[in-house]
Amino acid sequence: MTEANITSAKIAARNVDVFYGQKKAINDVSIDIDNGIVTAFIGPSGCGKSTFLRTLNRMNDTIAGARVDGQILLDGEDIYAPSMDSVALRARVGMVFQKPNPFPKSIYENIAYGPRIHGLASAKSDMDRIVENALTKAGLWEEVKDRLNDAGTALSGGQQQRLCIARAIAVSPEVILMDEPCSALDPIATARIEELIDELKESFAIVIVTHSMQQAARVSQRTAFFHLGSMVEYGETDQIFTNPRETRTKDYITGRYG
Amino acid sequence: MSKSDWNSPEAVRRLAKRHAAEKRFKFIGLAAIVLSLGFLALLLVIMLKNGLGGLDWDFLSGSDSTDASTAGVWGAAKGSLLTMLVTLLLSFPMGVLAAIYLEEFAPKKKWIEWVEVSINNLAAVPSIIFGLLGLAVFINTFQMPRSSPLVGGLTLALMTMPVIVISGRNAIKAVPPSIREAAYGIGASKVQTTFHHVLPLALPGILTGTIIGMARALGETAPLLMIGMRAFVVTPPDSLTAPSSVLPMQIFLWSDEIDKAFVQNTSAAIIVLLVFLLAMNGIAIYLRNKFEVRW
Amino acid sequence: MILTGVLLAVFGLGLVGWFAARGRARLLYKGRGSMHSMPGYHGWHLALWIVVPALVAWLVWQAVMPGLVEGTVFASPAAQGLPTDPFQLGAIVAEAHTIAADPSAVAFNPEAQRLVEPFRQAQVKFGLMGAVIVLIVAFAGGAFGFTRIRPDFRARTYVERLVLGVLLAASLLAILTTFGIVASLVFEAGMFFKDVSPIAFLTGTHWSPASTMGDNIDNNFGAVPLFWGTIYIGAIIAMIVAIPLGLMSAIYLTQYATRDVRKWVKPMLEILAGIPTVVYGYFAALTVAPFIRDFAASIGMVNPSTESALAAGLVMGVMIIPFVSSMADDALAAVPRAMSDGSLALGATRSETIKKVLLPAALPGIVAGVMLAISRAIGETMIVVMAAGAAANLSANPFASMTTVTYQIVQMLTGDQEFNSPKTLSAFALGLVLFIVTLILNIVALRVVKRFREAYE
Repeated sequence: MTEANITSAKIAARNVDVFYGQKKAINDVSIDIDNGIVTAFIGPSGCGKSTFLRTLNRMNDTIAGARVDGQILLDGEDIYAPSMDSVALRARVGMVFQKPNPFPKSIYENIAYGPRIHGLASAKSDMDRIVENALTKAGLWEEVKDRLNDAGTALSGGQQQRLCIARAIAVSPEVILMDEPCSALDPIATARIEELIDELKESFAIVIVTHSMQQAARVSQRTAFFHLGSMVEYGETDQIFTNPRETRTKDYITGRYG
Repeated sequence: MSKSDWNSPEAVRRLAKRHAAEKRFKFIGLAAIVLSLGFLALLLVIMLKNGLGGLDWDFLSGSDSTDASTAGVWGAAKGSLLTMLVTLLLSFPMGVLAAIYLEEFAPKKKWIEWVEVSINNLAAVPSIIFGLLGLAVFINTFQMPRSSPLVGGLTLALMTMPVIVISGRNAIKAVPPSIREAAYGIGASKVQTTFHHVLPLALPGILTGTIIGMARALGETAPLLMIGMRAFVVTPPDSLTAPSSVLPMQIFLWSDEIDKAFVQNTSAAIIVLLVFLLAMNGIAIYLRNKFEVRW
Repeated sequence: MILTGVLLAVFGLGLVGWFAARGRARLLYKGRGSMHSMPGYHGWHLALWIVVPALVAWLVWQAVMPGLVEGTVFASPAAQGLPTDPFQLGAIVAEAHTIAADPSAVAFNPEAQRLVEPFRQAQVKFGLMGAVIVLIVAFAGGAFGFTRIRPDFRARTYVERLVLGVLLAASLLAILTTFGIVASLVFEAGMFFKDVSPIAFLTGTHWSPASTMGDNIDNNFGAVPLFWGTIYIGAIIAMIVAIPLGLMSAIYLTQYATRDVRKWVKPMLEILAGIPTVVYGYFAALTVAPFIRDFAASIGMVNPSTESALAAGLVMGVMIIPFVSSMADDALAAVPRAMSDGSLALGATRSETIKKVLLPAALPGIVAGVMLAISRAIGETMIVVMAAGAAANLSANPFASMTTVTYQIVQMLTGDQEFNSPKTLSAFALGLVLFIVTLILNIVALRVVKRFREAYE
């Protein structure tokens, strides 16, 4: 990667190490993540792919004893710089979790929560528009428009996860991080989320962590392979799956371990 | 929204406001803790200031008197000791046995639910109600001697038993099933498994709960007031049926004295009682830390 | 005295029986698989056959012996010319009984002195008789048990069955206690309600049980001022102190404090819960109450009383803080981490997450905790006895002296009163009300907590 890439990349990580107390969880990772495409992180469980994902919106801050060295640049701005506000950062870099985690509130309130805390809507009509927009983008509007006051937790698992995606979209982020978003869902719900991810990449940079190589191959344009806290290989998804450069990548893809 | 939106003056102002609210909230939390602990410190300081001067050998070895300068705390302390003995001898075995039954042997039946509700509720019933029970049953019905450590101990035992059952059940529950399976695997009966393997492993937890329950009983006054354990005792009680007082009761009686000189006695007795309680809780915490096993 | 010795003898026999049976069982042991139960179990089986029936016999004899002794004493020539009034008679018999047990005691009634000798003789006679009976039962049980020692005898099954019975009995003690509380409260309160109408008791606003003479007894037992004082002190003032302080402490400790701070501060808060209520009461009376009285005077109250609802409620609130705090702690900890992660990932600050996501999610648990705290506060006795006062005031003025249910229970039952007057019985009626209210609070709260936990599992 040349220096010129730094400016064009949406997110640029440079020599990132992550420590949990004394334990080093991520070792010297550098990666450029671009706008308009889906980037997948794959690797065996415990390889650090989720940990690295959480450094991208500073969710690791919430874990006692976690420390990040190196640089992560969002539009060229160091997100670990003292001047960077983690609150504003997380509004720009949204996140969807492994298990759907709607708040114990109504569907409407689940979506309105983010815009409300960030002051994105000045009137009720603004908020209604934001909610409808987010739910439409998440492909959930038709299913829930008549029961916006029902509890978010009453939806099915797949719907809950789309609600969580809508919730992230509602604050108009620039990047959406997804941490194994389909691992708790059935195949049909998974297919819907994958379709959705494909549509969303037009508007957001998307990074998805997945344990399923098939999923990575289906939804992503670029793939990074992590192993034992290091990034082994990063490239076009087609190339990674058909013609990996590293033997470790090849071994993983062909099912030798994992 | 993009980076530039977040840099608009309005957005910056809004963020600053939110961060100020965050700081305020955190400060209120800290203040709540400081205030609570400050109250504790104030209480302890006042008791120490008033009472330390009165703590000497005569005070520790004497019994109650109408004269503040000769009154001592040993008579009441011995009453407490005898009462706690009765309480421990009754509530510990009964509590442990009940905990074993409910956790290991009880069938899943409706009446077992009643036992459980009953125990959970008894643990939260106001202590004065136990005093009324003691008065009505032990004194009025069974004609046991009023003001005696026997009746006091019985009453407090009924109050302490649910605490021991609940902590005992938690301790037994914490013993992993693999231990039981290992014992069954070599042909032990259920009773053998429970008494030879599960109970010894649960014992530190049970003891911790027992000490905490006993500490609570040691500090109780209200139920004992009901059964008349407020005797003016100039000589320490020498049997379980002799009229006696207990430490907290002595504090209560002295606090009622008009003579200002008793303020020192009351505070000194409070120090004695708190030292006992702190020691018991200290032992409980030590036991918990020393024997706590994470499976 | 004799019977105590017999008890020791029975246990001694049990020990002998244990060794004897184990020894015999060992002789029968012909190698692996030859016996159903290990020799130790045969030992226990026999020991139990000796001790248990003998103990039952001993208890029965303890119960019937006083009657037999008294019967013999009354039949003796010394009992001629005793007063027939049952009250006087009872006093004399009790006195003779005391002297018989303790020769150093001095008789107050000469009649009692005459009865001492027959008393002593009768006691010795029936004591010996009881001893013989108990020992016979012990030997009979032992003999029966001993004949059953055979290789195929299932001693362990029998012993274990008895162990189970004992375990069951221990757990039933809880039910028995609950039953005892309900029965004694209902029975005594029932006696009270024979004299005073329940409606007048529950709705009357005038409480002055000292003047129980006269026909309008109903008008003196109106407990509403007591209920009000209890609610005002325990459920209002104390909660105004305890809920914010307890809740905010829990929030700080679970959400902000580092692990080290938490490790030290939590036990310190628990000390607050471990301080006996009598100490709080003394602190309230000695320090807080005079301070509040002076404060009331400084804001222009005329003759403020030293005992005030505010002093009692304030100190009670402090006592409840750790309770609310630990319940809130549990409730907050039960909310899955994913919930707060979801909020933080949207760019919410910690406090926004706590206020808008965590607290609403933990609300059922917190409400249940507050209910339990109220139940504890309204049942608290010593603080109000020492700081709240005796005057049954129906007032909303926190500086006024106010009385509570628990205070009145103590007031009615201490000091020397005849037992069955409406005044003393009213304590049980108050106790019944207190028990029912706390019971409802506890059961509802425990239900809510249980359902709340299940919702997040």
